[in-house]
Amino acid sequence: ARKKEERPSSAASRIRSMDAAMEDAAAPGSEWDRGSGGAEAVLGLAGAGASLSVCYHEAFGPHADLILLEAGDDLLPDLLQGRVTVRGRPEEEAVLCTPSATYAMKFVGTSNSMFLIPPGEAVAASLRPDHTNEDATVASAAAASIIKVAPGSIELVRTAPRLDKLRSLLRERPYVLDEDLGDGSEDKQGLYTWQDLCVLVQSSDSELLEGLNSLSAVEIDGFWRTVDVGSVNTVLDMILHNSVLHDWLLNALPENAVLSVMEADGFTHKIVAHCLSRFGTKVEQEAGSCWKLDERLVCLQFARRALAAGKMKLNNFMDKWERSIPSGMRADLQMLEGEVLYERLGAETWVHAFSVADLPLTPAERFAALFRERPRWEWKDLQPFIRDLRVPGASSEGLLIKYARRTQPSADSDPIFTAR
Amino acid sequence: MKRAGKQPANIQQKASRTNLSPPPPLSPHPIRGEAAMQIQVRCGCGEAACPEWAVVEVQGVLQPQPCFSGRIQGLHIGRLCSTSSAPTSKGGYTFTVGYHELAGSKVTLKKPLLVLRKKKNDNGDTGELGQGGPAAAAEVELEVIGIIRHKILFKDRPKALISKPVPKEKKALPAAATPSTVPPAS
Repeated sequence: ARKKEERPSSAASRIRSMDAAMEDAAAPGSEWDRGSGGAEAVLGLAGAGASLSVCYHEAFGPHADLILLEAGDDLLPDLLQGRVTVRGRPEEEAVLCTPSATYAMKFVGTSNSMFLIPPGEAVAASLRPDHTNEDATVASAAAASIIKVAPGSIELVRTAPRLDKLRSLLRERPYVLDEDLGDGSEDKQGLYTWQDLCVLVQSSDSELLEGLNSLSAVEIDGFWRTVDVGSVNTVLDMILHNSVLHDWLLNALPENAVLSVMEADGFTHKIVAHCLSRFGTKVEQEAGSCWKLDERLVCLQFARRALAAGKMKLNNFMDKWERSIPSGMRADLQMLEGEVLYERLGAETWVHAFSVADLPLTPAERFAALFRERPRWEWKDLQPFIRDLRVPGASSEGLLIKYARRTQPSADSDPIFTAR
Repeated sequence: MKRAGKQPANIQQKASRTNLSPPPPLSPHPIRGEAAMQIQVRCGCGEAACPEWAVVEVQGVLQPQPCFSGRIQGLHIGRLCSTSSAPTSKGGYTFTVGYHELAGSKVTLKKPLLVLRKKKNDNGDTGELGQGGPAAAAEVELEVIGIIRHKILFKDRPKALISKPVPKEKKALPAAATPSTVPPAS
């Protein structure tokens, strides 16, 4: 079977092949979409002996602008109601996004001849004179017309959104508190609006929003930003400081009071509200909205801060951590799952920061990064660093088998995972 | 259905017929290389009224006789004929092309195919070039112009027709009248 993949848009220097001839003819009068294909007649052809002539359309040609897209019934409503976009930069493989899901687009060619017959009333085949005489029956009858031979179709395969890119874009220019002092230039380099992100990140809208949430991004002046760690710490410190001054309960911070006190201290509503939602949950009370700070999230933030300088002996770290957290909260090493790694050096256990939030989001790169950090992993150590991986069509067990080698020294010992 | 004289086209059959061969390797991505980075898929017809297209699919390729190779638009290919009497039963069809007759059937696609048309809107006003952001040079749009739910598939090797009028009937009769399938003796 012959297969032509070339789909020329200008056939200037081509030898006068059949394709070129088709193009010449199709270009000027390609009014085929007025409806004269006869699809209904073809599909409705029934009853013994009923027949229909099939011919090449007067506008038959390569019609490279016509593309076939395979879409399951679950996708049809979104596609037919204009809720679907194709996203990606020219050098990326395009993905198709519904409001909630991302699909890779795979072109699958066929060596069969798929004759496409557009809708419309079948009209009499306009045979050329040299033919009419030979076959009068055909000339008088209605004919279905083939507009194009489709080289294949595009299949959609559910895929994970490309959120690594979102993370790297938003880390170009994290928000810092000093920006509010007005020294910020008009330079918009490294700042992205929702629209920019829709175009730049290959992800459906709802997956993109989820991605922004998991990055703790906030929309400031129309741009989606991550917030600089130092700035987050400053705001959190000030909230905690004020809670002592004003006798606020950490599980019921009064929203309005917090915002106005903090504003008086020079912090914008936006950034304070962001920090409240980052470290707490909103509780509606009769007296007004309150925020209940989450013990784990607050303690985790202080743990990260304690470890920012590098690895520490576990005992020293615990001392420093427990001293830093707000009174009334209790530090627990379980809060640090997926955030730190321990290693035993001689008699001492050391701890250092190693956050799942900094690891790549695609499975292959994630496992590579994990095995760079540590060539051998026990399951209980590894699990917190891979449990967030979600790939359509693959379970985390499946990913583990694909990217790691499992060994079990003896029947009762824990399995060990190494790189494949 | 008998035909005489010069025929316009012949079917060139694939040399080897692996019916469910794996799809050929991916060709250049059809959407890739556009200037715009977000392409809206629109549909003017709406969900209920999306016009249905038809597909006639045969193995191999149709090759027009050399004398038509310059221009085949409008050229008659063959005759599609329904063979089953009841429209409800699984439709049988023949497709007679030149001296060849193909037997096939109507197949409902597991997943429908949408017919998309790529459109370039060269609107004069160039978008806001605010911040080196992604401003699309030419707006590209994909428009859903039709849906394919069924195809008439001819997946078997064509049968040669002899141009004499008799063989057709002759062939049909024995086929029906050869009870070679004798009930197994128990």
